[in-house]
Amino acid sequence: MSTKKKTDHKALSNKKHNKRRMLTFWRVIRYGTDSFIRNSWLSVAATAVMTITLLIIFTAFATQNILTDTVNDIQSKVNMSIYLKTDTQNNVVTDLTNDLKQLSSVKTIHVISADDARTQFAKSNSSDAETLSALNAATNKFPVTLQIEVNNINDTSQLEKFVADNALLKKNIDPNHAPSFAGEKRNTIKSIGRAVNFAQVVGVGAGIIFVIISSLIIFNTIRMAIFNRREEIQMMKLIGADQSFIRGPFLVEAIIYGIIAAFISTGIGVWVLFATSNTLSSYQISVHDTINLVTIYSPFVILGMISIGALIGIVSSLLATRRYLKL
Amino acid sequence: MILLDRVTKTYSKSSSPALDRVSLFIEPREFVILVGTSGAGKSTLFKLLTREEKPTSGKIVVGGIDYDSLKDSNIPMLRRKIGVVFQDFKLLPQRTVFENIAFALEIAGMTRREIKSTVPKVIELVGLTGKEKHFPHQLAGGERQRVAIARAVVRQPKILIADEPTGNLDPRHSWDIIRLLEKINKYGTTVLLTTHNAEIVNKLKRRVITLDHGKITGDQAVGSYRQGGGL
Repeated sequence: MSTKKKTDHKALSNKKHNKRRMLTFWRVIRYGTDSFIRNSWLSVAATAVMTITLLIIFTAFATQNILTDTVNDIQSKVNMSIYLKTDTQNNVVTDLTNDLKQLSSVKTIHVISADDARTQFAKSNSSDAETLSALNAATNKFPVTLQIEVNNINDTSQLEKFVADNALLKKNIDPNHAPSFAGEKRNTIKSIGRAVNFAQVVGVGAGIIFVIISSLIIFNTIRMAIFNRREEIQMMKLIGADQSFIRGPFLVEAIIYGIIAAFISTGIGVWVLFATSNTLSSYQISVHDTINLVTIYSPFVILGMISIGALIGIVSSLLATRRYLKL
Repeated sequence: MILLDRVTKTYSKSSSPALDRVSLFIEPREFVILVGTSGAGKSTLFKLLTREEKPTSGKIVVGGIDYDSLKDSNIPMLRRKIGVVFQDFKLLPQRTVFENIAFALEIAGMTRREIKSTVPKVIELVGLTGKEKHFPHQLAGGERQRVAIARAVVRQPKILIADEPTGNLDPRHSWDIIRLLEKINKYGTTVLLTTHNAEIVNKLKRRVITLDHGKITGDQAVGSYRQGGGL
């Protein structure tokens, strides 16, 4: 009987304890939201700085994405071309294509026959009567072209070796048209490749630096906000508030900054992307994939931005309140 | 109720101690006035009692709690048992009178119902009925100090420490506050008051402890401190 009473008492005590913890949890949220509303100027300033921080992060992310898409686009447009004699047999073309496909550096091969090349040329110059008449009068014929997309435009050594060593190719290669990765074209292709790598490294580096700088700005803003209220913290300590009760409202406030700033900065970022998409596209900058990404995955983008904002806010608040919470 | 046994406090950047082997015993329900010039050690003594500072040596026991065995995690619990009032009130500026007083109960985990029944009684005790929804900046100095006192006593502490509570007030409001502290003492709370006001010290006729350069230089029983301006 006595054991049962003790168990009941313990259960009741635990229930009371949990109820108090829940009560404290809701009070911390209420204090945080109240402080956010009542310290309106401070809240507006902190939210504005947080918005700028998240906008920088969004811009760094979008720029990096646009850059990657653009360079991928350029890369895919840079085909290596090998030109074969006009009368090269189809079975030879097929054999060469199969041999090339065996190379690890080759991504895709597109064969343009001599007739197709002629038709394409005629089509693209359909409005130019002089060129068309010259084409009809010409006796020289178009070569068969093997358009090769490589995995890495900086690595053409495998293809060069293939051109130099493959006996079947040597027999059928057009002597009047050198493969396009030779000479000046190769240098151009290689310089594009180097520019791609450089831009990606710079993009990631600049993104990281921006994130660090903007995090420091928001950290200092929150630290200033908490510094202004250090006497409040001191008073709370002296009347017996424990650390979580003092710190909690500041964390709630920081999370509110993060949530509001995430919505504003994502909205501004997406709007800027839409507003500039036509202009950017006219400069061959691939912006549509990034727009698709942020619109299709908008809930995740918002969630990600909220998480980043809340994380920066929470870390800043924890660090800023730490010095005032020493007992 | 309060016991200090040969308590010394030396701050790291100071060569002389702020408190030097101070021994003191204050009975439950006593009303004690602590006097001394600036730098005498009053603030240090209060900081030791509220456990903002640790003594360099010596023993402190308040309300049966030996500070030597007090864990850091239990300091908030200790502070909830001691009411504190400051010269500059230290109210939450963005909270109303009711909310400032309720805060002391909320941190202790009291329910909304308990708070709603307790706070109005304390507001009535300090004479601020009708001003529950006022913010601190809408109140006069004396009224703000009443709010601070209400917040300090709302948890019915056994000890109330009032550090220069009349320092920022005019004579009329100062006496209102002193009368309020006497009323609280009458209900059974031990009151430890510091003041520079000689008139208050002399008229109150309570136990007076004098601190000078960190040492107790006088400890006079109730009613014996009568000479005017003798601080």
